[in-house]
Amino acid sequence: MDQWKIETETLSFAYNGREILTNASTRFTENAITALVGPSGSGKSTFLLTLNRLWETLPGGSLSGRVRIRFDGQSHDIYEPGYPLDRLRRRVGMVFQMPNPLPMSIFKNVAFPLLLAGERDRAVLAARVEEALRRVHLWREVKERLNDSALALSGGQQQRLCIARALVPEPEVLLLDEPTSSLDQRAARAVEELLVNLKERCTLLVVSHYLDQVRRIADRVVELSDGAIREGR
Amino acid sequence: MNGWRERAAQGIFALAALVSALLTGSIFGFLLFFGLPLLTGGRLTAILTQPWAPYQGAYGIAPMLAGTMAISLLAMSIALPLAMGCAMLISLSGPGPTGRLLRKAVAMMTAVPTVVYGFVGIFLLVPVVRQLFDHGSGMCVLAAGLMLALMVAPTMILFFCDAFARVPRDYGLAVLALGGTETEKLLYVTLPCAWRGVLTGTILALGRAIGDTLIALMIAGNAVRTPTSLLDSARTLTAHIALVFAADTESLEFKSIFACGLLLYLFTAVMVVGIRAAGRRRPGR
Amino acid sequence: MRRRMGKLLPLFAWGSTLTLLAAIMTIAGYLLVEGMPALDRTLIFGDTPPLAALLLRRPVFGGLLPAIFGTIALVVLAVAWAIPLGVASGIYLAEYATTTAKRLLDPAFDILAGLPSIVVGLFGFAVTVFLNRHFSAALHPCLLVSSLALAFLVLPYIIRTTQTALEELPPAIRMTGPALGASRLQNIRMVLLPQALPGIASGVILAIGRCAEDTAVIMLTGAVAAAGVPRSLLSQYEALPFYIYYISAQYTDAKELATGYGAALILLAICLALFGLAFWIRKGLDRRALAHF
Repeated sequence: MDQWKIETETLSFAYNGREILTNASTRFTENAITALVGPSGSGKSTFLLTLNRLWETLPGGSLSGRVRIRFDGQSHDIYEPGYPLDRLRRRVGMVFQMPNPLPMSIFKNVAFPLLLAGERDRAVLAARVEEALRRVHLWREVKERLNDSALALSGGQQQRLCIARALVPEPEVLLLDEPTSSLDQRAARAVEELLVNLKERCTLLVVSHYLDQVRRIADRVVELSDGAIREGR
Repeated sequence: MNGWRERAAQGIFALAALVSALLTGSIFGFLLFFGLPLLTGGRLTAILTQPWAPYQGAYGIAPMLAGTMAISLLAMSIALPLAMGCAMLISLSGPGPTGRLLRKAVAMMTAVPTVVYGFVGIFLLVPVVRQLFDHGSGMCVLAAGLMLALMVAPTMILFFCDAFARVPRDYGLAVLALGGTETEKLLYVTLPCAWRGVLTGTILALGRAIGDTLIALMIAGNAVRTPTSLLDSARTLTAHIALVFAADTESLEFKSIFACGLLLYLFTAVMVVGIRAAGRRRPGR
Repeated sequence: MRRRMGKLLPLFAWGSTLTLLAAIMTIAGYLLVEGMPALDRTLIFGDTPPLAALLLRRPVFGGLLPAIFGTIALVVLAVAWAIPLGVASGIYLAEYATTTAKRLLDPAFDILAGLPSIVVGLFGFAVTVFLNRHFSAALHPCLLVSSLALAFLVLPYIIRTTQTALEELPPAIRMTGPALGASRLQNIRMVLLPQALPGIASGVILAIGRCAEDTAVIMLTGAVAAAGVPRSLLSQYEALPFYIYYISAQYTDAKELATGYGAALILLAICLALFGLAFWIRKGLDRRALAHF
């Protein structure tokens, strides 16, 4: 059996008075793509936020239970009091449904996680930005205009930019909330291909509505409904 | 990593908020500290009821209270219907250019300095009032009330419009779908649903009317007498502060302006609490 | 009955709107007609050569320059005091404060926002009297006191616009920074504040307008009719709104009164321009927010 990367134990989560998970205990396999499906409104996207504690930045959530993630072979209880959130979120990256580039240049967007970590060396930044943009096959398209606003890119380019940005801190887990739903088919395919390639270095959790997409990329499918997480077909 | 920096920043932000909040308290404290000699020993009732006669040792601010009430209530009774009508027009004309333009014009009007209203009041309105009624100098409750109405009306209109806009669109559509007109929609749905916002806007405008200094100071005449007619000259609490503050700081006369300040402060506090209470209770279902 | 209502209501609405517009047009028109002829070089500089006056080489008598300089100094100082305190408080309310803390702080800021400006002026004056009596007899109402009192007056505006500008940011933006490992402070500094800047700026501009037009605070805290261009924080000063008030009561001849009209027109223009600027910034903000979705 494959090694697990993320484990939830009796996890209950409510958001704005709506019960999303009740006592859910489940595991997610390492270096695999797990697709998260379920009826719309079942809280798939909000569930993702419990794995990097991002729900805490929004009002109206309440949680009990445990989430463990295996970093460097060691199991970390991420809800342990005082657990360093910035480190957690660098290790658990996230890509949102709507591309969310910051209103800065393309370069600064991708370099942003490094700037946060205090990196100021231009050469290092440039090298890492190029590497990340190459990995999402965006480098050729934007290398001439790295200083243009990221908001000027097309939707598909913006989403790949956001994936590149999420990859910069070298996350071990990548959470993706319907990453292709705002893209046209061609751009969506490019992103899918990318995700499959990322499997070697990351554990991926993808919320998806598209069954054919799930079939194409997922190693495992789980369904979230009525507050429980079940193994899909 | 930068834990102390995070904590220091949070501490600084919290401290700033605390200082700002304490400022509100310290304003009250200072007014009380200076006004206290006049409020103790049974003099409180005297100051609220007596007339103003410094040479006889009477420092009552009752006439100023009456002046404030007369002028601001007159202003409100003129401004309320005007503002209501104008807000209705904006609401009736919908999202078209008329409504948008009107809204912009009204918003612009809120930027007119009150000293400008006072200035134009002296040289344009007061002579007209004087000639029309042939009574005194023309500086009177009526003149100040009219100008004040003009000053507070734009704020009220904007507030009413916002209250109308917050009424869910479906309600209005339901009326229109039943064959009702825009006017009926406004009358039977929008207004009843928005009354709380209308009330809040009115209270806020009353607060502005009571708190304004320059218009009354410049065109109400400042006579220390309880006005008995619209054409009487009157002095407001605010104008009284502006007129007397330069007096000898040890005198009771000087202390009386702190009683005015306290009264204005308390009025503001009651208004704020009232509005918060009105806002908290959501309209039933 | 209902029929008649349907006809009367629009009539009433149009009637009150036209009344209001006519009144405000009369005021603006009157100021324009009376004030325009006064608008010339001598209105601002008196008989002093403009360049010498601007460089403060020669004092200006009978011109508005000292009042204009006074108002500018006053506004700049007041806003300089109010921005750090107000923005920091706004950040605390939007990003850190618990519900309980907000419940305790909110009424204080609401009361501060609702206080008549003469009460704030009286507070400034009382504090000055107090300090003068107990600490330093050198302290009198002056530019410093006025600017501090004005800062208190506009503090709640700046707090509230900062708070709303931050709170109105969509969750997607709010989560972007933390999702990449930004700490709370980093997120505020590098993502949220830059995004909220136009909103905060429009609030600051409205605050500037408020400082420029307020008369009640400054008449109690150091504005006088004749002081020349302000030389020090501890000196008395002239200001446009106070000049308008003073002239309206104390003018001696038609020429002096004409400068009053000119000053009123200039002040009105400044306030409308500032308001327009704030409006324009906020409109750009709305458009950008729409483009984002």
